[in-house]
Amino acid sequence: MQGYSNGGGGGEGGPADLAKLQSIMQSIEIACSSIQMHVNPAAAEATILALCQSPQPYKACQFILALDVSSIAPYDCGAFQVIAFILFLSNLAENSQVTNARFQAAAAIRDAAMREWAFLTADDRRGLISFCLCFVMQHACSPEGYVQAKVSSVAAQLIKRGWLDLSASEKEAFFNQVNQAIYCNHGVDVQFIGINFLESLVHVSEFSPTTSSAMGLPREFHEQCRMSLELDYLKTFYCWARDAAISVTKVIIESDAAVSEVKVCTAALRLLLQILNWDFRYNTSGTKMSINVFSAGVRQDSASAKRTECILVQPGPAWRDVLISSGHVEWVLNLYAALREKFSCKGYWLDCPIAVSARKLIVQFCSLTGTIFSSDNGQMQEYHLLQLLSGILPWVDPPDVVAKAIESGKSESEMLDGCRALLSIATVTTPFIFDQLLKSISVDHLFVITLLLQVFAMMFRPFGTLTLLSTLMCEVIKNLMLNSSEEGTWSWDARDILLDTWTTLLVSIDSKEGNALLPSEVLNATASLFALIVECELKVASMSAMDDDFNYVQASISAMDERLSSYALIARAAIDATVPLLMRLFTERFARLHQGRGMIDPTETLEELYSLLLITGHVLADEGEGETPLVPNAIQTCFLDTLEADKHPVVILSGSIIKFAEQCLDPEMRLSVFSPRLMEAIVWFLARWSQTYLMPFEEIRDGYSNFGHDYEHQLQSLHSRKALLSFFGEHNQGKLVLDIIVRVAITTLVSYPGEKDLQELTCNQLLHALVQGKNICLHLVALDSWRELANAFANGKTLFLLNSTNQRSLAQTLVLSAYGMRNAEASNQYVRDLTNHIMTYLVELSNKNNLKNVAQQPDVILSVSCLLERLRGAANATEPRTQKALYELGFSVMNPILLLLEVYKHESAVVYLLLKFIVDWVDGQISYLEAQETAVVVDFCMRLLQLYASHNIGKVLMTLSSSLLNEAKTEKYKDLRALLQLLSSLCSKDLVDFSSDSIEAQGTNISQVVFFGLHIVTPLISLDLLKYPKLCHDYFALLSHMLEVYPETVAQLNTEALAHVLGTLDFGLHHQDSEVVDMCLRALKALASFHYKEMSASKVGLGPLAAGLKDSNGNPQEGILSQFLRSLLQLLLFEDYSPDLVSTAADALFPLILCEQGLYQRLGNELIERQVNPTLRSRLTNALQSLTNSNQLSSTLDRVNYQRFRKNLNNFLIEVRGFLRTM
Amino acid sequence: MSDEEHHFESKADAGASKTYPQQAGTIRKNGYIVIKNRPCKVVEVSTSKTGKHGHAKCHFVGIDIFTGKKLEDIVPSSHNCDVPHVNRTDYQLIDISEDGFVSLLTENGNTKDDLRLPTDDNLLSQIKDGFAEGKDLVVSVMSAMGEEQICALKDIGPK
Repeated sequence: MQGYSNGGGGGEGGPADLAKLQSIMQSIEIACSSIQMHVNPAAAEATILALCQSPQPYKACQFILALDVSSIAPYDCGAFQVIAFILFLSNLAENSQVTNARFQAAAAIRDAAMREWAFLTADDRRGLISFCLCFVMQHACSPEGYVQAKVSSVAAQLIKRGWLDLSASEKEAFFNQVNQAIYCNHGVDVQFIGINFLESLVHVSEFSPTTSSAMGLPREFHEQCRMSLELDYLKTFYCWARDAAISVTKVIIESDAAVSEVKVCTAALRLLLQILNWDFRYNTSGTKMSINVFSAGVRQDSASAKRTECILVQPGPAWRDVLISSGHVEWVLNLYAALREKFSCKGYWLDCPIAVSARKLIVQFCSLTGTIFSSDNGQMQEYHLLQLLSGILPWVDPPDVVAKAIESGKSESEMLDGCRALLSIATVTTPFIFDQLLKSISVDHLFVITLLLQVFAMMFRPFGTLTLLSTLMCEVIKNLMLNSSEEGTWSWDARDILLDTWTTLLVSIDSKEGNALLPSEVLNATASLFALIVECELKVASMSAMDDDFNYVQASISAMDERLSSYALIARAAIDATVPLLMRLFTERFARLHQGRGMIDPTETLEELYSLLLITGHVLADEGEGETPLVPNAIQTCFLDTLEADKHPVVILSGSIIKFAEQCLDPEMRLSVFSPRLMEAIVWFLARWSQTYLMPFEEIRDGYSNFGHDYEHQLQSLHSRKALLSFFGEHNQGKLVLDIIVRVAITTLVSYPGEKDLQELTCNQLLHALVQGKNICLHLVALDSWRELANAFANGKTLFLLNSTNQRSLAQTLVLSAYGMRNAEASNQYVRDLTNHIMTYLVELSNKNNLKNVAQQPDVILSVSCLLERLRGAANATEPRTQKALYELGFSVMNPILLLLEVYKHESAVVYLLLKFIVDWVDGQISYLEAQETAVVVDFCMRLLQLYASHNIGKVLMTLSSSLLNEAKTEKYKDLRALLQLLSSLCSKDLVDFSSDSIEAQGTNISQVVFFGLHIVTPLISLDLLKYPKLCHDYFALLSHMLEVYPETVAQLNTEALAHVLGTLDFGLHHQDSEVVDMCLRALKALASFHYKEMSASKVGLGPLAAGLKDSNGNPQEGILSQFLRSLLQLLLFEDYSPDLVSTAADALFPLILCEQGLYQRLGNELIERQVNPTLRSRLTNALQSLTNSNQLSSTLDRVNYQRFRKNLNNFLIEVRGFLRTM
Repeated sequence: MSDEEHHFESKADAGASKTYPQQAGTIRKNGYIVIKNRPCKVVEVSTSKTGKHGHAKCHFVGIDIFTGKKLEDIVPSSHNCDVPHVNRTDYQLIDISEDGFVSLLTENGNTKDDLRLPTDDNLLSQIKDGFAEGKDLVVSVMSAMGEEQICALKDIGPK
């Protein structure tokens, strides 16, 4: 690498230096051009890097400086040298004909300044910033935008770097420079540049911690800058940008063609938008919040993950004058309205940058909320929204006209922005106010909006915003039906945004008040909207029914799920109309299937039913997500006049679907109607429906009522709810329905061979959901159909054809249902009956004389695999009540398992199943085991580990196929991960133990066992395998846990085991994943602090390990703590790592230094001696001095000291890393 | 459950056919399958459907366990596939002869001398070098559908 540091020597260099400097410039220029042309890019990069990294290259520049003294004067430079270098660079930047070289020069200025910032005097720093600012302003007209942008961003970064050092007046001076650019008549270009500079300060967000560039400073620094900017400057910038925009507005509005002022106005609008995008944290709630540096601040809307982003803007009361009361919003609206009329003119169109920026700003205004509005019952906000809505209306109203215009070629962006604005308004208001807004416009603002067309539209508009929303959405849906084949049309986007709007509005209604508050006009509108939505979905379904090539991507399924739950909210808003509608649609299709049987191809109807089932499932029931979902509020509070359960529309709808599903039990019907895909929808529906409606736990909760004060009403609602809830309860139709569901499930498992997806749904969702309900379990085990299933599982052969994961899930489900037995004894017996066949088969197989030959037959492998999956499923279902039977089961197969591990040692798939079973079984059992049982299990696990290790150590696979080699590697990784999990489970015995006596009674020492296990496993874990992130993570998690909790055991490890443990620890320290490094540092801290504390108490601690051993040749070796001290210092000073690690590193470094003070002194001296530059040398000496001495640091390992040391280390690194790293 | 029936059938039809029928849906990744009359290890299984409301099909990607060649097959998931009987036996390596054969010690004390060394240089050197260094080597021999090959090598010498 070429260096530039020793360029000129003294000031007397003469022509030789000029030549040298010119040659440097040339070499940079050449490098830049060759990068552009892809000629030897590596060498070129090295040249440029050398420029950026050369330490103190100032001398090299003195000569150039002398040539061009005049150019220094304006920058008032104090430190000659620094500025000299910068000027050299600026010379490069100004003089070079190669634009890229200028760009690189700017980058080099940035790098050099950041690195050596601490050296620079206050004047230098100011001069630098000033230089950058002037450069940009002076070259405002230059055509090379990216060089300008770079220099401007360098200026922003420098200002930020010095933010906390600069006095208020100094900052003022810089910003005045910018302000003058923006205001004064230096021309449009300068104005533009000024605004751009502010943008790089705010938007490219030098000041927002998430987007700021790295400066090697702690995060706190960024936070402080951010706060200072937000509180003291942001509003001022906003005003400047606003004024700049206003100053050019007149010119723009009055001209008919594009003028150059448009550029300024666009930039200003963009800056306004960026400022409003700022994540306001301080002073938003009026009171000063405490600053939590490390939490990212919780956003208010947590309702649901949305497709469209809607960021709330909450700047707080300080912004009221600027944003609300100064007519600012009106100005923007007027500006856009004026632009709209110009769209026919040359230079303006709907998507021209200025129009886009203005629209975005308007949408942003819609999401303004919080304490910026005074607490006057929301009147101020309402007025604000009213103003905006009246400006936005023409974008979307009247919907049919807008939609037609788009279809005939108009750009859709304005309409989409209108939808986004509606979404924003919906987010910041209640549904009621949202609806009222439009009505008040009709009255108050009729005269404000003077366009003829709008007046015309308004004559027909005595309705609220919700109704507008439905009509708008209807138009979108209609368009969607026409263009259903193509994705990504405007109506897709519009639908998604509008659906989000509905969700935002309706979620609050659905969870709280019920539909009572919505006016009937809205109910009608939503009902017809839902009807249209269903019609559209059905049409799409029947059209796509014949599609041959469809493959679902997981993402598209979850997107569909989101869409369906939004539909469901709309449907529930008008539930008394939508349930009968769904009922009618189902009846029509059932009838069509029956009439056309054998004659008409039912595929289209099947696909329609598929869609209907999904929609209905979403309308009727919520996703449980692990909890028991209640009957949706809208359904509970509706249909109050239905007192007879069997006439309740929801009961009728559910009943007819269940009755339809039951028909799949008939083989003939099954063949002609019930395709696998239809069954998938049925099974999904039954699973979702039964979680809510089937035998609800509390069939009726008395005294629950939040609404309706009059008693009659309350009583009636109680009756109607009771009717609905108890109809499928355990004392009514519940058992019957449960029986049907189980039979349908058996049918899918038995009569749809090879339909994995369907069977997976049945096992994982339907049956799994059933056994989650404890009261359902009680009835399940009494059902004949359930017994039939259990019997088929234990004694039949057909279920062996299930896919392996489904085997596991089915076994788990059946074992879980044992909860339904009367008592623990019966439950255990139930489990024994279920699993007996597994034990018998495995024991018999392992007793065969010719086991080795028999075992390798494919059919035996299949059976063994199935049974192991079943074992694992059963083990997963371990609960206190059935733990005993499952322990016995595991105990009885211990020997067969070891034998099978031997015979299947080449059959990796089987080995993995064996290991996974043991892992899950131990995990489920370990905390319950008594001392003696623990000893047995631990002994078994160690034998398993040894056997596995003996099969695999030193084994080389001989194959030509690289993919088989890769597969083998992956398999090995999975095995090892399982073994590590096994050790972790064993570890947990020390933490969670429900047994009656201590395990020490049987002489089991968990820490020794786990270290022994690690000793067996670690030789198998090559550094190559540690590249698998999960394995690496697991390994280091276990290792650091062991070292943290049992540091004393380390001293007892044998040399070989120890060497491996320490080797991997060192590897982990230099790992890319900061979490891994973090774990290793914690382990180091534990080791060192253990040793230090023991030594202070005059005990041995780590003993000879720390003192240093002799290796095999008798040479003395360094103790392990010394090695780690070296390695950690090396890491901290010279390598790359995440700044977040500094605190943990400090916690590890502090005890290490205390343990190895002599070595630490030596290393420190070495560092100092290596430093040739005297300034740096003294800086380093001082820094090292204060690392261990400042902040009243003492030599005890307590919390306070750790904290002090963290601070010291942070300061130390900031002070020295910059120059140490460039060496 | 018993495997008697299977045994009977497979013995009856071909004697040495050494394959077993198994439903396609139950064949999983890392299992074995016969594709185009070659024994393969399955490295990828995916399912698709014949039309939206049709039945499931399995798409297998297999690697020939002897040649390392990639083979693919699509089978309706309720149909049966052939699964090869892959047998693996460990032998101690006694000698490597000049003409490319190895001499192996069987469990009952006899020698087995009919197995060729691999032809690939890389694999060959792994065996030869290890043997030359005097390591105690155990080779695993894989046999399926009438073919035999060394598939793994293990050093069992003292650590």
